Amino acid sequence: MSQVVATRTGTRKGAGPRPYKSRVGSLKSLLPLLPFLAFVGYFLVFPLVFIVRDAFLGNDGKFTLDNFVECFKGVYGHSFYVSIRLSMISALIGAVAGSLIAGAIVKTGSRTRKAIAATASVLANTGGVPLAFMFMAAFGTEGLVTKSLKALGWNLYAGSFTMFSATGIILVYCFFQIPLMVLIYSPALENVKPELREANDSLGGTRFSYFTRIAVPLLFPAFLSTSLLLFANSFSAYATARAMTAGTLPLMPLLIGNLVDGNVVANQEHLGHAMAVSMIGVSIIVMGIYLAVLRFSKVRS
Amino acid sequence: MKRKLNYVNYLVLLVASAFFIFPIIAAAEFSLRANGATTHNFSNFQWAIQQDGFKTNLGVSFRLAILTAVAVLVLMVPTIVYLHLGGARWKRLIEFICLVPLVVPVISFALGVATAFPVFLQSTVYELSFLYVIISMPYTYRALDVGLSSIPLLTLVEASRASGASMRQTLLFVIVPTIRSAVNGAIFLAVALSLGEFTLAVILHWDTFPTWIANISQGHILAAIALSVLSLVGAWLVVLVFAILPKSFRTNKTQEAAA
Repeated sequence: MSQVVATRTGTRKGAGPRPYKSRVGSLKSLLPLLPFLAFVGYFLVFPLVFIVRDAFLGNDGKFTLDNFVECFKGVYGHSFYVSIRLSMISALIGAVAGSLIAGAIVKTGSRTRKAIAATASVLANTGGVPLAFMFMAAFGTEGLVTKSLKALGWNLYAGSFTMFSATGIILVYCFFQIPLMVLIYSPALENVKPELREANDSLGGTRFSYFTRIAVPLLFPAFLSTSLLLFANSFSAYATARAMTAGTLPLMPLLIGNLVDGNVVANQEHLGHAMAVSMIGVSIIVMGIYLAVLRFSKVRS
Repeated sequence: MKRKLNYVNYLVLLVASAFFIFPIIAAAEFSLRANGATTHNFSNFQWAIQQDGFKTNLGVSFRLAILTAVAVLVLMVPTIVYLHLGGARWKRLIEFICLVPLVVPVISFALGVATAFPVFLQSTVYELSFLYVIISMPYTYRALDVGLSSIPLLTLVEASRASGASMRQTLLFVIVPTIRSAVNGAIFLAVALSLGEFTLAVILHWDTFPTWIANISQGHILAAIALSVLSLVGAWLVVLVFAILPKSFRTNKTQEAAA
């Protein structure tokens, strides 16, 4: 805060556009941002640079690519497939179900909508560990949901279903993916004004033409970008999976957690770092698509 | 703008409510079980609350939440105000920086922190607060940015400065009260995030409320479920009260409190 006070004249000067400002002056306008930049530099950039550097170091402290070679092999390589597939499925389910729910709730009264939004934000934000245990209580062999479904004639556990399998994880991820979709997608949906519907009708359009010519083109960018956000969300989710499976399912975050906890062979620290960097890589690709979509469209979620 | 719902909408809402409410009820039922599911009482809740860890870990989580909220405000509000006043040319850069935590999976970030930070920084649990500031940045930045965009900031600052207020006074007594709802939103986000965060706490080997729940689940799963129900319902009630209460009622209250 003191920085803003100290350079208030700088603040004043920069109020208008000054294309011919000298380079020094331009750097001066960066001064009030120093506390922020220092904070981010130390608490965000520094750890990230460090982990990227460590990913390229062998146990002897020399530069090597072995860690990355290793992390595409065996169970670690398999975890890429498991993690990405699971995230894609849960993002797809979340996106479709969430957009349907958002479509229904934009039509309800404002108080109902607020209540639903509040509930969604709790489920989407505070999820993690509590959700995992809630889910175990409900869908476990002794849980009320399992018993009720059995009474209705559907034995959940008749097939290969267990809570700790990929299916179980996808099911529990739905509990925060769908609310997140509702939260982010609703504002975009509210942009579709009723006037568009009226215009379509008065110009002789049908329900079908409204859907294909107006709703889909208008909403698809928001839908796609939010889906990618959901993907990233479940891809990096750790708390729920860890609390539920205790590391039995080969998901990338779980494997990394095991590696650094020393549950497996020692001296594999750098493998963990390489895995973590690979996760950032996958995430960057996905978010790159997200940003491209966002820039391409005018619909900002 | 209440519109007519068709039967498909009703069906969707019905199924969705069932999907979300039924497991919560099921978990609540489960948490009340006692004596091998023969009776129902509050013994699991009592047991959990009487544990030593309950008070200490809840305390740690709450202190982390407060510290995080304060740090978010001290760091973000002046920065974003400056971006709206004179530093507009840096807006894209700062925006980009604030989005980075969204791209980096928390586990990767946690690993980086664990290896990079010197021991003296990792010797106190409150290091987590600073990391929570980082991972809440995408959301808090957005909340504050939207809030500041909706007020005539330059006019307010000029009026305040012309009346002889210092920049700090302007910030504290003019700008912050004007964007109160955005500030509240940012605080809420920071608090919710730090109360529920698990990954960083586990990887850095700290005990907070969520990690404690995960720990006791290994010995006493019913108590863990009871605590989960408690924390979800608690968070939900708090948010619901904030979201549903009419705005006028809330502002009257704060005015009374100030008077």
